[in-house]
Formats: sequence, structure tokens, C-alpha cells
Amino acid sequence: MKNVAVVGGGAGGLIFANTLAKEMSEDIQSGKMKIRIFDGSIYHEFQPGYLAVAFRGRDPESLRRYLSGLVLPGVELVPENCSKVDIDNRFVVTEKTGKKFEFDEVVIATGSKPDYSQIPGLSQANHDFHSSARASADAYKRLQKVRWGKVVTGIAGVPYKCPPSPNESAFMLDEFFVRRKLRNEVKVTFLTPYLRSYSNETVNSIIEPIYKERNIEIITSFNLESVDPEKELLVSMEGDTLPYDTLFLVPPHTGAAIFKGEEYADSDGWIKTDKYDLHVTDHDYAFAIGDATNLPISKAGVEAHLEAIVVANNIVSEMNGSSDRYEFTGRLQCSMETGFHQATFVVGTYDKPIERIQPSFYNYMQKKLMERIYWASLKGGYEWLFRWHFGEDYYRKTTRQRPPAQSPKVQNI
Amino acid sequence: MAKTLVDSRGTACPGPITDLLRAYRKASNGDVIELLATDPGVKADAKAWCQRTNNEVLSTVEKNGVITVEIKIMGKKG
Ligand SMILES: Cc1cc2nc3c(=O)[nH]c(=O)nc-3n(C[C@H](O)[C@H](O)[C@H](O)COP(=O)(O)OP(=O)(O)OC[C@H]3O[C@@H](n4cnc5c(N)ncnc54)[C@H](O)[C@@H]3O)c2cc1C
Repeated sequence: MKNVAVVGGGAGGLIFANTLAKEMSEDIQSGKMKIRIFDGSIYHEFQPGYLAVAFRGRDPESLRRYLSGLVLPGVELVPENCSKVDIDNRFVVTEKTGKKFEFDEVVIATGSKPDYSQIPGLSQANHDFHSSARASADAYKRLQKVRWGKVVTGIAGVPYKCPPSPNESAFMLDEFFVRRKLRNEVKVTFLTPYLRSYSNETVNSIIEPIYKERNIEIITSFNLESVDPEKELLVSMEGDTLPYDTLFLVPPHTGAAIFKGEEYADSDGWIKTDKYDLHVTDHDYAFAIGDATNLPISKAGVEAHLEAIVVANNIVSEMNGSSDRYEFTGRLQCSMETGFHQATFVVGTYDKPIERIQPSFYNYMQKKLMERIYWASLKGGYEWLFRWHFGEDYYRKTTRQRPPAQSPKVQNI
Repeated sequence: MAKTLVDSRGTACPGPITDLLRAYRKASNGDVIELLATDPGVKADAKAWCQRTNNEVLSTVEKNGVITVEIKIMGKKG
């Protein structure tokens, strides 16, 4: 019996577990395989929808589904978070009841979360459009009251999930105030610690002119250290200050707290992961996917999805005695709405540089289509469409052998 | 004074500057960050970033496709 534990039932964990359950349904029925997802959340939320809740007043409830309704037959949902993942001794411990579950293989898919503790004052001052449907709904309540002044949006610290989302917030805020005929009274400022409006120059060269055209101010290289909510002042690490009236910043993120101090995670709790075969480095039977990894790519749903497919296919091959093995191509595809029904995409792989994609209505519709098929895709639906869409980047067949385990030579912070 | 080694090899988007920014938040004046990268954009970006934040590039060395940038942190306020 192969016992597979999936820690985290978000986008990556669900796609992994459901894909494996579909492929191995006979083995599951005959008792040769067991798949368990551990997750204490009652709901799963469609996170890209947070922006529409915060800046267009969309109903936050429309972004939620019961997690229990998203697992296929053959997958057992244990409705608890894990407080410990002991890879060496192959067991997890659940948080509330302290139960111990053994595994043969484990997939860590615990995502990322905002870490307000890094920037004093931010949690009191910020209207968070990025962390939950409920917080986004509160941000919209605040936004509706803004009639004048300086609205500052952007990046409070790195890393964070969905790199284009702060840019989207700037464009959507502009659209909001234009539609309300308040744009002349409201100054929109985009704040970033990077050197340009988007870290990658190709994307920057596409969107910077839009900032200019829409009269959105860009402040670069601002390393936010703290916020003074009473004086309504942002303070940088270098001592610069910036006044604001309303704040919509994306906080820096960390990995799940339970991994801090584990030898298989870095100091911020990101799991040390092989960028191709997604093994937790040094462990043949442990994998990490999605935002939880320390991979040198964007933290986004597409990556979580394609990584889940790679790991599921490798386990299926192994179970079926096939020598076929697959690896992740590093494919990223983050949509970036530029307002007024236009969008671009940030697309690339480990080997291919970021593509130049002009904003269009067609791209915007693609983004909308993704939302339509999101819930089915978590259950392994529409995989033919993803396979067709991503083509050679979907995954890569490999003959690469895993190198013998060794300690990393350099510290990766 | 501490030295932090930041391995950003293979990073393209959002890029090595993300790893530099993470290390910078934890660093103090006088510390040195040694950034390893394969993205050629890192040379110009690290230089521009230091100019804007009042930090200093001590050296930039390229060997076998790996660029090593040594940065002295001196721009943080008191
Ligand atoms: C505003 C916004 C816009 C976005 N737009 C896009 C976009 O356009 N395109 C795109 O590709 N991506 C986008 N994303 C990012 C995308 O939603 C995430 O990258 C994706 O959900 C990551 O999947 P994941 O499985 O790694 O993590 P998640 O989906 O976040 O799931 C993590 C799960 O782990 C669980 N968990 C945490 N700790 C534990 C524990 N100790 N034990 C057990 N379970 C645990 C959590 O409860 C959660 O269910 C956006 C995100 C935001 C916030």
C-alpha cells in the first residue's frame, strides 16, 4: 500500500491529489494506494478574484467553495492543518487533535501568507486587497469613501504571490476613480522596491507607458521599513518618507510557520525544492509544489498547477513500473489586468525569456475564461485544454537522474 | 559586520533583485551581501539599485556564466 500525504489543499494540493486519484482509481479501490489531504480551511477561495472584490465591489462569497466539495472520490480530506511534517521519519502530526499519520510519499503544498510583522504599522494602516475575500470586501468599503487625496498602492515587501497583482491594483484604482469621475481629485501612486514598475524590463516597457498615459505616479526603489498610521507616513529603510491618505499595499509573504527551523526549509520557511523534479532537496519521497517552494520563479497558480501535474505523473509512472519521468519547465503565465477590459500576460520558462505581450481585450477574455474553468480544473477537468495551451512547456520528459543528495554549498536566504 | 551569501542563480522573473531585497531587509550598515546570479541583467540592476539606495557595489566578477556582485550595505538610516 502506497500512502500519499498532501499537506495543504489549495490550488496545487487539490490538482495534485485529484489528478493522482483519477489516474490511480483502481489501485485506490483495491487498497494499493491511499491519498490524504490535510487542510484546516473550510473553504478554498479563487484568489485572483480578490482584486475584483476590492476594486469593483464583487461579491466575496462568489469566490468561495467548500473544500470538501473539491476533492474527488478516492481522496480523503483530513480537516486539520499539520503542525509537523517529519520527512526523515515519514509522518505528519495534525494541529488540533495531535494525531500522527504515516506516509510513504509526501507533497507539501501549504502556499504562502502575508507577514505583517516585517513592517511595523502596516497592518493598522493598510487596506489589504490581497489576502482573503473578506479583507478585500473591507478594502472596497474603504475605497467607496475616498473622494480626494493620495491613494498609494504597490509592493510593501518581497516576496509576495502573483507578481503582477500590485500593478493590477494601480490600474484598477485608476479605472475606479475615472468611472466615478473623481480622478482629478485623487492622486494614484504606485510604490515599489524594484527599479522599475515591473521587475522584468520587457514587462516594464509595456506597462510604463500606460502609467504615464493614465497619470499614475511610480515611485521606485522604495524599501518600506515602517508605517506611521497616525501621521499617515511611509518611512523607507534609507530614511525617505512619503505621505499618504489611503493605503492599499501588498505585504511581504512567508511560508507556513511550521517549517521554520526545519532543515528542509530556508530561514523564511520556504521549502528547499529541486527546480525540475520538485523533490524536497535531499529527499526522494518528499515533494513541494506551488507557493511553498523556494523556486526562483513567480508564486502563482499556473506554476502550482504545472508542478502538481509533474509530481502526479511521476508517481503514476513509478506505481505502474514505467521508466517515464517528467520535469517542470518553469513555465509561468501570470495575467495582468491593465484596466478598462484590457490585460497582458507575463509568460516565460526557465529557458525562455519573458515574452512581449501587448495588452488586449482578447487577453482579458482569456483571464475571464480561466475563472470559468477554475473550479473544474482543481478536480483535474480541462486538462486537455491546459496541455494544448502550454504545449512543450506543459512538462518535459526527462532521462535526468537525480544527483546523490548533498548539502547546498551556498546559503540561500 | 556580517557577510550574507545569496544564491540567485537560475532566477529570471521576478529576478535576483528579489533575493537581494530580502537579504537587504535583514542586513545592517557595514554588512556585505554577496549575490550570485546567472541573469545578465543583474550587473546593471545591482549598480542602479545601489546608486538609488546609497549602498555600494564593491566588485562585480563574471566567471563560467555566474555573476558575483559584492554589495556593501551603508544606505540604511541610523
Ligand atoms: C490578488 C491575487 C491575484 C492572483 N492572480 C493570479 C493569477 O492571475 N494567475 C495565477 O496563476 N495566480 C494568481 N494568484 C496566485 C495564486 O492564487 C496562488 O499562487 C496559488 O493559489 C498557489 O497555490 P498553492 O497551492 O501553492 O497555495 P494556496 O492555493 O494558497 O493553498 C495553500 C493551502 O495550504 C493550506 N495550509 C497552510 N498551512 C497549512 C498547514 N500547516 N497544514 C495544512 N494545510 C495548510 C492553506 O489552508 C491553503 O488551503 C493570485 C493571488 C492573489 C492573492
